[in-house]
Amino acid sequence: MTYIENIFVCIAGPLLLAILFMGRKYYGVFFFSMAGMGACLLSAYINTFFAKLYGADFIGATTQIAPVVEEVMKFLPLLFYLLVFEPKSKEIGIAVLVVATSFATFENICYLVDRGAAQLSYILIRGFGTGAMHIVCGIIASYGIVFVWQYNWLKIAGTFGLLAAAINYHAIYNLLIAHGGQAQYIAYALPIVTMSFGFIMTRVYESGKRIEL
Amino acid sequence: MAELVTNLAQLFAAMLATIGAGMMFYKYQLQTYLLLTGFFGAFMLGTLHWTLHYYLFSYTPQIFYVSELAWIASHIFLLTLTYTLADSDEKRFRHPALWFAPVFCLSQLMLYLSHADVLLNTLISILVLAIMWVSLRGFLYARRQTGKPRDRQYFHLALLAIIVLEHGLWTSSCFWMGDTFKNPYFWFDSLLTVALLLLLPATRKAVAS
Repeated sequence: MTYIENIFVCIAGPLLLAILFMGRKYYGVFFFSMAGMGACLLSAYINTFFAKLYGADFIGATTQIAPVVEEVMKFLPLLFYLLVFEPKSKEIGIAVLVVATSFATFENICYLVDRGAAQLSYILIRGFGTGAMHIVCGIIASYGIVFVWQYNWLKIAGTFGLLAAAINYHAIYNLLIAHGGQAQYIAYALPIVTMSFGFIMTRVYESGKRIEL
Repeated sequence: MAELVTNLAQLFAAMLATIGAGMMFYKYQLQTYLLLTGFFGAFMLGTLHWTLHYYLFSYTPQIFYVSELAWIASHIFLLTLTYTLADSDEKRFRHPALWFAPVFCLSQLMLYLSHADVLLNTLISILVLAIMWVSLRGFLYARRQTGKPRDRQYFHLALLAIIVLEHGLWTSSCFWMGDTFKNPYFWFDSLLTVALLLLLPATRKAVAS
């Protein structure tokens, strides 16, 4: 059994002390990194609750419950930020990425505490596979939100669509991992391939016409 | 086998439609095509997860809402699309036949609630009811027009076909007859694939009008 709330306190402590000396300018980064780790902590509890409620086995819990709960939990701090502070486009993207990165980091720390850090191959897979997958989901949400929140008619459909896209991407990744065999190698490569594809598409789009809707 | 074949066909069709709508948006920079890309993209993602789950584990997802969330998102895109396409006269237009939408959707909802999940079915039925109301209104309004504006009827007709076929799909899933092509579920699923593909040219016609 891993006491993840103890790990959370252990990581949050030094950050909390450091922020006292860093000044107001960095409060936002601190808040979002805490929000990301807090979302990860709460997701673990909520995942367990739903798994018990629906009587889900390991595959059911990882492929169907975890993606929905984790992506919704990551999205909640962002939604709060969007609705309460009405930030600028550039600030939204950074906030989402900080939440996603701290979520992935905290999840990786919990896995390493639980399973040990002896195998370098396993650590690389966690870092560049699962960790990168969370970042990709964050990028989907951040780039998307920056775009859809510029247009009132697109806010509801766009926000819900982005959340659904992140959930389905996460679920497909978990599905391939849970199946094992050759499918899991596809999953390990998926985040890096998606990032490369996204990078190319962004370059292509930027070289094209400017959007005037 | 029938499940996998029809799902793969639908996935392929949705993928083609997403690319097609995305290219139209890139070319014309119109909000209609952006919303259409969102609809096809979300629909495709839900179908991809559903099909992959069936392919890898030989059963469809039963516990939680992953694909369903993507399909709900696709319907929100569709509702936004139908609403933004309508002009102010169309929005004010009323006809007694519009009441067919709530009668049809709510009576079907009663059936689904007796067979399946309450939350998801209620949510999607309300969304589909709203789309059916707006597209039925648009269809009746377009039929009264002359010239180019009349062409919008094809867009609304394609939407109505999608909604009726979806209801056929959900109703037949309540009386499951096995994974064979004799099951009406797969007939509705195949027809839905065709209707999805027809939505793209129908939207083009509506935009041109």
